[in-house]
Amino acid sequence: MSYDVTTDRLPTFAIFDFKGTRKTLEKWTKFTLPDAPNRFIVNTGVILCHIGPDHWLLRAPLDREETLESQLKPTNAPADISIVRISDTQTFFSITGPNAAEVISIGCPMDLHETVFPQNSVSFSEFFTVKALIMRIPLGFEVAVEQSYANMIADYLDRATA
Amino acid sequence: MINIPCPFCGPRNESEFSFGGPVKPDRPDPNSVTDEQWVEYLTTVPNPLGAVQERWWHVRGCGTWLTIWRDTRTHDIVKGPNDA
Ligand SMILES: [Zn+2]
Repeated sequence: MSYDVTTDRLPTFAIFDFKGTRKTLEKWTKFTLPDAPNRFIVNTGVILCHIGPDHWLLRAPLDREETLESQLKPTNAPADISIVRISDTQTFFSITGPNAAEVISIGCPMDLHETVFPQNSVSFSEFFTVKALIMRIPLGFEVAVEQSYANMIADYLDRATA
Repeated sequence: MINIPCPFCGPRNESEFSFGGPVKPDRPDPNSVTDEQWVEYLTTVPNPLGAVQERWWHVRGCGTWLTIWRDTRTHDIVKGPNDA
């Protein structure tokens, strides 16, 4: 018997790491940032994740990277904030289907129950011992790991869902 | 395993954290204390039989450093002497 899930390795995304106070970041980036801890909002195809105190991640399709870079102007940002393009450091997987939470739970200690980790939740945690970003999406989850672990995580997912 | 309350993330599994050691008293001025007191400060790690105040780093989570009291006899996270 196997889990009723579909796992996919997703194409590279444009990702920018934002650090600093919300006020200064919103003024500089022109994006409205999510307020609640470990939640994300979607704004015209751009996902904004609140992943730590004074810390956000922006994710968008890769073809928007250049436009975003010229809009965010990381090298000209004020000294009290930091904007860093980290697109090629993270590999995303999607795990969707009725048993998606069970598969995530094999490698992640976080409480994934809807009441604790509802829609629009995102948080760093662990996935098969590796630091990972876990996002709830309508049909399951997306998980990002440092790209150097991606083949290993793909292998774990294959074994877990075989 | 203990379930550690992160002020940003809520309760999370110990494996997401890195231990930062016990909270030590403020660093004394080495010129105004005796050699014994200075050596005591440098080398003695607080290790009471009971509640100890500790630092933990949510390194595989949101990155927050936090302080908790843990009872060394039960491994429970407990209220500190000054907690309301
Ligand atoms: Zn945290």
